[in-house]
Amino acid sequence: MGKLLKKEMKLSASALSYIFLAFALMTLIPGYPILMGSFFIVFGIFQSVQRCRENNDVVYSALLPVAKCDVVRAKYAFAVLIEGCGFVLMTALTLLRMTVLADSPVYRTNVMMNANFVYLGFVLLVFGVFNLVFLGGFFRTAYYFGKPFIAFLVVFFVTVGIAEALHHIPGLEAVNAFGFTEMPLQLAFLAGGAAAFVLLTTFSQAASIRHFEKIDL
Amino acid sequence: MSIVEVDRLSKEYPAFRLQEVSFALEEGRIAGFIGRNGAGKTTTIKSMLNLVHPLSGEVRYFGLPLKDNEAAIKQRIGYSTGTVNYYPKKKLKDLAAVTRSFYPNWDEAAWREYMTLFSLDENKAPAELSEGMKVKCNLAVALSHRAEVLILDEPTSGLDPFSRDELLDMFLMLKERGVAILFSTHITSDLEKCADDIIYIREGAIVRASDTESFRRELGEAGETLEETMLRLERSVRHG
Repeated sequence: MGKLLKKEMKLSASALSYIFLAFALMTLIPGYPILMGSFFIVFGIFQSVQRCRENNDVVYSALLPVAKCDVVRAKYAFAVLIEGCGFVLMTALTLLRMTVLADSPVYRTNVMMNANFVYLGFVLLVFGVFNLVFLGGFFRTAYYFGKPFIAFLVVFFVTVGIAEALHHIPGLEAVNAFGFTEMPLQLAFLAGGAAAFVLLTTFSQAASIRHFEKIDL
Repeated sequence: MSIVEVDRLSKEYPAFRLQEVSFALEEGRIAGFIGRNGAGKTTTIKSMLNLVHPLSGEVRYFGLPLKDNEAAIKQRIGYSTGTVNYYPKKKLKDLAAVTRSFYPNWDEAAWREYMTLFSLDENKAPAELSEGMKVKCNLAVALSHRAEVLILDEPTSGLDPFSRDELLDMFLMLKERGVAILFSTHITSDLEKCADDIIYIREGAIVRASDTESFRRELGEAGETLEETMLRLERSVRHG
């Protein structure tokens, strides 16, 4: 698996998968739907999948001395690696907003979602949804990715809409907590996001392996 | 024991059916896989490499089922499914660098030797190569990790007569080392030059799988070349 992941990073990945990690910086933009940063990070992964399709990478990988199921596992491992890097960067920037920048007026007067652990929970949910809807959809054919991406876009914008609307609902203002206030609630959202990410990714990978085994290359 | 056993492979497409294809490959023997375009050669070969999912049947290498031992078996076999049709803009040396990392048995000296023999420039990308050169590139990869079995889908198509001759000579040399070779072709002179066994497929079913002498004796007529025998057999089916 290590060799396949190395191959994904060296040969298959689009440079945009790495460059788009910089969109984690969107976490710092005030008055902006900061979850869009997570979209651009997965859009970088989408570029790699597109590049793989253009280069017939699936057939190349399946011809290597590896089990067919490991070809799928390596693609998921690469996606999770990029998502993991994006999450680490977003966490660092969120902590910056929760500490040094906690009382900054531009953030205090922000009507959009605040950067806190709730936000990070939603970031993980977006990543999990991408793995389920887009990667899972792609591996139904190992060729077509248009419909899975459109399906992901729909689910993504609904998720962003919910995340942005949540703290405007009476009684749920605490979701937009500043700094380290409302920690049980914040941590509950983060744990929920992490659980969703693990469950959606694991389920999607298992389904993709099943589909890929039956595909004629 | 046969080194490769293909046991009742079946596959169904809307307009084509592979019908319980069975044959075996022996160590140190060259088997030519012959049939018309669309007869089922590529589907059989892809099933042997787990690229196509068969409806039923099993492929065993070294006595082990491919299904449960795919990675270990692929370390010991070399294969080429026609031309290099992946990463057209990557330099051959970059592709080789990644590919070789998967093979502990990779023979760098052999790789260099085949690159020279085939006049391949590793600073070129597949997109810059002719179809024949792409076939040679795939073969160089297949031959560079000391495979015990070689499975090659139409390795001679697109090659000039000199390269074809060199390649068939190479098959004979590898055979001496105990390598089992299966190559599909529709060029009967390739078989005459080096095949010990002939596997003849028609409309998804094996018509005959035997050694070349038995094949000629039992299916050929007096004074016929192999090509004439094949043409007569195909025509007899066409004209009922």
